[in-house]
Amino acid sequence: MTNPAHFDYDTLADLAEGLLEDDQAASVNAHLETCAECRDRSADLADVSRLLAEAPVPAMPAELASRIDSAIAAESLHSATVVSLEQRRGRRPWRILSAAAATVVVLGGGAMVGTAVLDGDNSGDSAAKMPATDPGSNAAPTQRLMGAAPPFTVAHSGTDYRPGQVGAQVRSLLGKGQELRTQGDQPSAVLRGCVDALANGRRPELVDRARYKGAPALVVALPGTKSGTLDLMVVGANCTAQDHPVLEQSTAAAH
Amino acid sequence: MASVSMRRVDEVPDKELLARHAQGDPHAFAELVNRHRDRMWAVALRTLGDPEEAADALQDACLSAFRAAGRFRGDAAVTTWLHRIVVNACLDRIRRKSVRPATPMGDDATFDAVAPKMPDPTDAHGVSLDVQAALAALPFEQRAALVLVDMMGYSVDDAARVLEVPAGTIKSRCARGRARLAPLLGHHRNRRDPRNVRGMEGGGTS
Repeated sequence: MTNPAHFDYDTLADLAEGLLEDDQAASVNAHLETCAECRDRSADLADVSRLLAEAPVPAMPAELASRIDSAIAAESLHSATVVSLEQRRGRRPWRILSAAAATVVVLGGGAMVGTAVLDGDNSGDSAAKMPATDPGSNAAPTQRLMGAAPPFTVAHSGTDYRPGQVGAQVRSLLGKGQELRTQGDQPSAVLRGCVDALANGRRPELVDRARYKGAPALVVALPGTKSGTLDLMVVGANCTAQDHPVLEQSTAAAH
Repeated sequence: MASVSMRRVDEVPDKELLARHAQGDPHAFAELVNRHRDRMWAVALRTLGDPEEAADALQDACLSAFRAAGRFRGDAAVTTWLHRIVVNACLDRIRRKSVRPATPMGDDATFDAVAPKMPDPTDAHGVSLDVQAALAALPFEQRAALVLVDMMGYSVDDAARVLEVPAGTIKSRCARGRARLAPLLGHHRNRRDPRNVRGMEGGGTS
């Protein structure tokens, strides 16, 4: 404090919070009775609290809200997948490998590279072509963690996905010039249930009924929780809403 | 204007949602986050200043809370617990940031990032930007205390529970922070009538 005849903001702020010793508080209060400048300073401090309280609080941006929903959904799926894999291992250890078919699901985020590719008409009428999900049915609440995935189509790219290469293989499919290979048809109800369970409301960038290590599989690419990334999942070809054994799961750059 | 979310009387209590989540209900946690997200966002944004950092911190916090739900003890309010996780995630971000030489908090780039895309001439926004800038000048502990007490309206005791320090520490941090902000926010103060120097607000002075 420059002028020893006055109290500084720290002392006055302590007084306001009741942090001064009794005798010190009494002497500051006595000073305030006679000193307009220190009363001004006390009012300044009250104004700080008022300005902070009045500062408008912004609502969470919608984009962040959906990003966090996706992250939570992915986390839900992760915990659910661990459980289901352990259950499967306990029951039928070799079923995954002997499955007649497997499915690769690619869940993509942020960049939305494959949206137009997969779904020529991106408008509302693509929803009309989809089998309606039954909002009245609550028969199986647990497999739809965050609500149904938006409409998607199922590609048959003919790719034989390799362990550790799925990201690169999906990227090349979603790149230019591959439109024919990723052009898809409508999913069956069972497949839709499977993808919904994996996607948790995210729009798949790619759902490819293809092969993984030579065996039929489904590859799903979903928007990753960080923009510009894809969550990649390879699941058995006979994947259903209740039963979606994940053969490989990874996150890859979308480009 | 953002509407204040109304709590319905028949709404499932927070603790019940958290318990359902711990028991494996896949919807319960998303519902809980939905319910409190605007306040959690406000705490993160005010504490970090930078929207990108705040977004990352909030996502970290939500995932931490998701995983830690089973360890929640029922003696605190769920919101207290959630806000503690948010504040801790913010502190983690700051620590990580101080390791790598990224844009320092509170520089012009940060204010640009906080600024709206469209220029907003209203006075309220100008105040908000300066409040954010002034807050950035405070040490983390003081800023977090003031965000909770002065901005979010927490009682000193509740803020103490969130930050896990004694109530006296919260009071002291708030006092230090206000003393530091007072000169920085000076130009926003209403011109006080010299005949009304006791700091009485409003009132029809004749």
